[in-house]
Amino acid sequence: MGAEVITVSTDTKFVHLAWQRDEKMLKDVKYPMGSDPTGNLSRMFGVYDEETGLALRGTFIISPEGKLLNSEVNYYNMGRNIDELMRKFKANIHLSKHTDEGCPSKWKEEGDKTLKPSAKMVGRVSEAYE
Amino acid sequence: MTEVCECLGCNVGAIVPDFKLETYAPAKGDFGEVSLETLKANKKWTILFFYPADFTFV
Repeated sequence: MGAEVITVSTDTKFVHLAWQRDEKMLKDVKYPMGSDPTGNLSRMFGVYDEETGLALRGTFIISPEGKLLNSEVNYYNMGRNIDELMRKFKANIHLSKHTDEGCPSKWKEEGDKTLKPSAKMVGRVSEAYE
Repeated sequence: MTEVCECLGCNVGAIVPDFKLETYAPAKGDFGEVSLETLKANKKWTILFFYPADFTFV
């Protein structure tokens, strides 16, 4: 899909290997499992917890030009919605090819209605949806 | 005085500095390395998915 998904925790690559081999849920995992034992990358993104040495549940989408386009961080006890991650990813791809458009919250996939912000739309967003 | 957070998580729109990570790549069954520089050179989008610890729910 033109994207490299990299999972990252502060565990070493050796622990990643052991976990992936041991946990049946991970038997079909294809993406590289990144290791950040120093916490340097986690700190750079602001997800490092100095008290525990662990990374919070942060998800970041970076464009092929190296620009950070989405940032989401959840506390330890809340999982992420993969459908929402995919929605954001697909919207980024669309917007990178249609730079004068905006993807509203209900945009789910290619073909869905986008908006073209302009003076005409000011105060008339509901009409623009029709 | 208000402190401004410099971390990337609070700076959407910023250019991400190049970074490298050692990896375990299940697809190859081997260790490896990923670098943002290489991903950019290959015109790839990058999704970083941080989580607290192996052997827990993700």
